[in-house]
Amino acid sequence: MSARLECRGLTGGRGSTVVFRDLDLEVQGGTVLALLGPNGAGKSTLLSTLAGLLPARAGEARVDGVALRSGNPVAASRAGVVLVPDNRSLFTTLTVEENLDVARSRRGPAPRELLDVFPALEKRWRLHAGALSGGEQQMLAMARALVQQPKVLLIDEMSMGLAPLVVETLFATVRRIASDHGAAIVLVEQHVRLALDVADEAAVLNRGSIVLRGAATDLRNDAKRLERAYLGELEVAR
Amino acid sequence: MDHIASLLLGLGAGGVYAALALALVITYRASGVVNFATGAMALYTAYTYAGLRKGELLVPIPGLPKTVDLGQELGFWPAVAVSMLVAALLGALLYVLVFRPLRDAPPLAKAVASLGVLVVIQGVLAIRQGTVAVSVAPIFPAERWELGSVIILSDRFWLAVTVVVLALVLAAGYRYTRFGLLTRATAESQTGAYVSGVSPDRIALVNWMISAMVAGIAGILIAPVSPLTPVTYTLFVVPALAAAVVGRFQYLLPIVAAGLAIGMLQSEALSLVSDVSWMPQTGSAELVPLIVILVALVAVGGGIPARGGLIRQKLGRAPRPRSLLGPAVVGAVVGAAALVLTDGTWRSAVIGTFIAAVIGLSLVVVTGYAGQVSLAQLALAGTAAYSLSTLTEDWGVPFPLAPLLAALVSTVIGVAVGLPALRTRGLTLGIVTLALAYAIEAVWFRNSEIVPSSGARVTPPSMFGIDLGIGAGAEFPRIEFGLVCLVTLVLVALGVAILRRSTLGSAMLAVRANERSAAAAGVNVVRVKVVSFALASFIAGLGGSLLAYRRGVVSFDSFTAIGGLALLSTAYLAGITSVWGGINAGILASSGITFIALDRWVDLGEWFQVISGVLLIVTLITNPEGIAAMGHEIADRWARGRAGGRPADAGAERPPVAAVEPAAVAPATGTALRIDHLTVRYGGVVAVSDVSLRVERGTIVGLIGPNGAGKTSVIDAVTGFAPATGTVELAGRRINGLAPHARVRAGLARTFQSLELYDDLSVEENVSVAARGRRHADRRAGVARALAGVGIGALRDRPAGELSQGERQLVSIARACVADPDVLLLDEPAAGLDSDESALLGDRLRAICASGTTLLLVDHDVNLVLNVCDHVYVLDFGVVIAEGPPDTIRADRAVAAAYLGTMHDAEAVTA
Repeated sequence: MSARLECRGLTGGRGSTVVFRDLDLEVQGGTVLALLGPNGAGKSTLLSTLAGLLPARAGEARVDGVALRSGNPVAASRAGVVLVPDNRSLFTTLTVEENLDVARSRRGPAPRELLDVFPALEKRWRLHAGALSGGEQQMLAMARALVQQPKVLLIDEMSMGLAPLVVETLFATVRRIASDHGAAIVLVEQHVRLALDVADEAAVLNRGSIVLRGAATDLRNDAKRLERAYLGELEVAR
Repeated sequence: MDHIASLLLGLGAGGVYAALALALVITYRASGVVNFATGAMALYTAYTYAGLRKGELLVPIPGLPKTVDLGQELGFWPAVAVSMLVAALLGALLYVLVFRPLRDAPPLAKAVASLGVLVVIQGVLAIRQGTVAVSVAPIFPAERWELGSVIILSDRFWLAVTVVVLALVLAAGYRYTRFGLLTRATAESQTGAYVSGVSPDRIALVNWMISAMVAGIAGILIAPVSPLTPVTYTLFVVPALAAAVVGRFQYLLPIVAAGLAIGMLQSEALSLVSDVSWMPQTGSAELVPLIVILVALVAVGGGIPARGGLIRQKLGRAPRPRSLLGPAVVGAVVGAAALVLTDGTWRSAVIGTFIAAVIGLSLVVVTGYAGQVSLAQLALAGTAAYSLSTLTEDWGVPFPLAPLLAALVSTVIGVAVGLPALRTRGLTLGIVTLALAYAIEAVWFRNSEIVPSSGARVTPPSMFGIDLGIGAGAEFPRIEFGLVCLVTLVLVALGVAILRRSTLGSAMLAVRANERSAAAAGVNVVRVKVVSFALASFIAGLGGSLLAYRRGVVSFDSFTAIGGLALLSTAYLAGITSVWGGINAGILASSGITFIALDRWVDLGEWFQVISGVLLIVTLITNPEGIAAMGHEIADRWARGRAGGRPADAGAERPPVAAVEPAAVAPATGTALRIDHLTVRYGGVVAVSDVSLRVERGTIVGLIGPNGAGKTSVIDAVTGFAPATGTVELAGRRINGLAPHARVRAGLARTFQSLELYDDLSVEENVSVAARGRRHADRRAGVARALAGVGIGALRDRPAGELSQGERQLVSIARACVADPDVLLLDEPAAGLDSDESALLGDRLRAICASGTTLLLVDHDVNLVLNVCDHVYVLDFGVVIAEGPPDTIRADRAVAAAYLGTMHDAEAVTA
């Protein structure tokens, strides 16, 4: 079976600096890949490149075998690649409903159907997105991605600035999205433990290259290797 | 009662301003373009409409017949329908050809491109339609309604009603339709639009078509009231911009109200002139937009809300001049040769080049260096020119005292012009200065009470009995006057180059790059802005005086507001950020040699203006930062090649840390920084809640916590960058309430998570912005010490933009250390460093502490914090959840849980 998302020799960066080079990666539909690594490893840049917000320098990314046009966010979106950016990029002056309305397509689900996945948004439905709590904003950002029926869902730093309990709920939802929607999910995350719990596979990106890759269960049980890949970033755990 | 009547008379003009303001806001919201060509677009549609009513369709393309005969005169509605179609096509064409390619360009580049569009449309219409006013049959019944003693002209009334209805329809459309929703969404966040699968380009295209139609409606409505001429319609954009500023380029209905109010106040101002003796005889109407903008800025504050783009926008590099004497001598010789070898028209053009270059350099100072967009520089030059007339003719002040005094007059006015800059920035400031130029032109330059209709005479300059004037008749233009201009230009250019190398110049670039970090470096932002306006006005005044001497008789057409727009366009295109760019501006200016050369050799005739507008747009699309940016790159490459291919490897040699000998500072004790009950609220969110910290002198204190815990908010509050409650004491002295730069001077320094370096400046300059000390040598020594202290002495001359993340972190720390602060707050100095670099950073922080600076360290690299600090506070959800020595923190399970967020298997993690 060919992978839902497949990268071959992908190289990219911001401005004049190359941030990651020559990456090979594949993610099957219905599975979650946790993309781990220290600050500045190039995780967010990789997601932005996949979403077409930044041009690739070399290599290519394919969705269901069809190559994506580099640096074209509209084409990426049409191919089913949807990004949940780390700053969420919500429309804070629009209501929750309007945020979802912007992203929905004629053939896709109606905004209200997303309440099945995020029931907490129900009572915020007519509030401006800017008035939501951090957790609710993150739910809205995820809902806005889901309303587009993504084939490939890229989630950047979902837990940033959120209370642990909220984060746990969100991770459970990610798991459900993968199995219910059959999307290939790439999860960039700092909370290593939680990410490994939810993911099927994990890859550690450090200084622009994948330095470790394996099944999430294996890495969970092999903290030593993970730590080495992080170069001491996890030492607080000791 | 007369007042009401005259107010109502202004409804017509007010309605047009309101409609144009709507068009301005639509294009700004959709594409970030402040479209100065909105009035010109209205004009084009109005001409089309007028033609259709006569049975002709306007053809703008050269070579084709001017009009196509339609065989019959169109009725009102068919003519409007076809005009709207043409307008929509014009809007779409402009977006696709000009503004879509510029969508990631700096906002100023987009505005300058719209000036190019203005020139092209105005020029094409002037050629194809002539400048004779075209009158159009009335649309609304023209009746006089008498309500009691008040007389209302019915056509003005219906015009205003039409515009109000139009605004309501637009507001409802943007509020309730899906397209309106998408427009509001893309205006707020382009990234958000992309990740929602929406193409901002398509939304922008449709909005440009709508905007062009709205402008077109304005043009058609006013055509019967105000006969069609190219210039008047173009200038309608000034009051429209004022109305748009009042509505903050956002709210449609306040904008319409403001537009109507401006029109009515202008009409009232005109009627007051005859009643009230102290009102200026001319120009009172032109003062209205300025007053309205200033009142709005004071009342509402702020400026145009920034649009969320993908790319961080900037003005372009301002490279440091490599040498002063060489270019000055070569420039002087070339200039003198140009004077000697030419005569007649050509020499006159050479002199024109020198003068325009002087005025161009004034823009380099205020806009290129200090980042304050000024459209008033030509008007300021004009104030000097008119003052010179009074000084020489009426008071007999001799040369060279007279032009210097005249330039001082400009300086005083320029500082007043600069005052709005303290409240606003960017293009809003540009609009304010445009309104000012427009007002100065009308109130002073065109005022027949002050200036005789034949113009203001200026006595030719002479010194020591030598005639330095430009001469007349066969003598014209005399070489002596050319030399006066050349000497002035060389001196001004040298001065501007020296300014760029000085501390003040670095401070200006710091303000331009980032007012926040400039304040954190102890720069007094207000002072720098005022000084840059003063210097630039003085230079503009010198240029204006020269221009006055060249003309002999000063008249307003040398110093119009539109001319000021053209000056900024030329200077921007020529390269507004360097001395070379300023001189380039002189060469390209309409009085300069390029103009004459083109006129003589190519004979573009009447098409010159149009072609120069097209060239401006094409050049902008290919070089959004101006053509001098290209020159800088070539110069860089050449300089690098000459340096023997010494590439960017200077950072590789890391001097041993031990090289920094900890200065023998007596171990002082006591509390260096004391924070009590600090609370920070953003809107409804409490970011920091009742936090109290102690930082003992001579220690390193850590502040850690997960993302969003409020660490940066603590630093912002302590350094005065975020409003907070609670108290902050620095060595026992309360400092809350002080401005950020004042806290820096009290001994409290900080770094930023985002570093906020000035990429155009060298490492040394970056650091010297924050250096204090009266003598240059002291400052240099301080900078050298700070660079050595963090071990980057070798990087001194490299531009900060070229460095690696780790090196940039160290520059930012050196900048904070250079003023020997008592307490230094470090925000994530290890971000982006690998573990080796991070360990090295730890050593350097200890060295800084040993030399007498107390540190508060915020970082995600928990390992670094626990290894380096003497005492650690842990923050989560804005509250201190733990504190103690590193060992205590390391063992604290709550800390691990907060950090890894793994409450369910915390054992597995902490085991």
